[in-house]
Amino acid sequence: MTEERDPKVSRRYRELGAEEPPRELDQAILAAAHRAADRAHAPLVAPAGRHRWYFAFGAAAVLVLAVAITVQVEQRPDAEALLPPTVSVPPDRVDRFDTPAEKENKAPAEPSKPLADAGPPPVRERRKAPAQQAAEVARADRLEAPPQQAPAFETQSAPVAAPAAPPSAPSAKTESQAAPSPMATARPQAKVQESRAVASLAGPLTPEQLLERIAELRKEGRHDEADKALEEFRKQYPDYRIADEMLKKVERPK
Amino acid sequence: MLAYRGGDARAFETLYGRHRARLFRFVLRSIKVRALAEELYQEVWMRVIEARASYKPSARFTTWLYTIAHNRLVDHWRRGGLSLVSLDDHDAPSSMPDPAHHAEAREALARFAAALERLPPAQRETFLLHEEAGLTVPEIAAATGSNEEAAKSRLRYAMTKLKAALADD
Repeated sequence: MTEERDPKVSRRYRELGAEEPPRELDQAILAAAHRAADRAHAPLVAPAGRHRWYFAFGAAAVLVLAVAITVQVEQRPDAEALLPPTVSVPPDRVDRFDTPAEKENKAPAEPSKPLADAGPPPVRERRKAPAQQAAEVARADRLEAPPQQAPAFETQSAPVAAPAAPPSAPSAKTESQAAPSPMATARPQAKVQESRAVASLAGPLTPEQLLERIAELRKEGRHDEADKALEEFRKQYPDYRIADEMLKKVERPK
Repeated sequence: MLAYRGGDARAFETLYGRHRARLFRFVLRSIKVRALAEELYQEVWMRVIEARASYKPSARFTTWLYTIAHNRLVDHWRRGGLSLVSLDDHDAPSSMPDPAHHAEAREALARFAAALERLPPAQRETFLLHEEAGLTVPEIAAATGSNEEAAKSRLRYAMTKLKAALADD
């Protein structure tokens, strides 16, 4: 770049003077910097008035994510418990987990079948359900959500679910695995819906998403809110260059 | 900046001391009106303070600082009704007083200052980023959101016009 530098131009430019900011301005800026440092990472502008939705939305997203992760973590030990091939659990313990509807479904079938033909022990079937759910949720989410937005717990659940999914048990058990109970199919669907909701709420909004929201506010004629949101955005992302097309959408029309 | 982000106010003082004069002159010579320049200069630093938590050292701090300054300048120009196209295409009118009453040296300097003021805003900004802030062409391109070719071209045009002003001496 030195080929563009001309010593004469540089010298003449320097002769223009060495203006400096006034001392009061220096002091004001340094004082603001000190105040901000004292407040650590707290926002300079406290959430007030219509700005509150940002913070409420963020808190709700974090809460939903935390609950989803907790549920997922609680289910994981059950899935891991499937790994040892021989698990002997008394049938009465199995019944404790069954809902009345499942008991009705199972009741007529069990006495008529010999034990060997009855498929896997109920406890295995019941315990496999969460793992299957996790696998289905993970599969569904991989299809639904873009890879970079997938919450961490989903990616973690896949390896746990994967060992449970292959039929490591004798062939007699595969039939019952292929036809899960109505509850077992209903739960994954609910889980998928919940997971989708989490995916839509989880994680901080990207600058592009924030701008879209501001554009929506502007479109709805909520100009004051849009102005404030845009101001907040510019504080949060001072070096972000808003594309001209988007700028037309987010700036107050003249 | 990372130290300041971690809560070290002294680090900001060092940073501020290093950049204050250059940034001030960059802003002042970009918009010419001192009161406005002071206001904008303060805004830039306030943005730096407010955005400290989101600062990522992906580029030099200087580039980041002047990117913020550029964005504030663009806002200022937009408020004044200037479009991005006009920043490149039209020479700005000079507000310098008639240098006829000054001594010869002062006249030469005034001519240079007038030539600098007459530069289209984008060319002037590129020149100031290069000469005052010490940014390289790729850094200028990053700070102004343009490509290197455009930045290089603007700088070359600016230098040609300023050299012409010197040739009149």
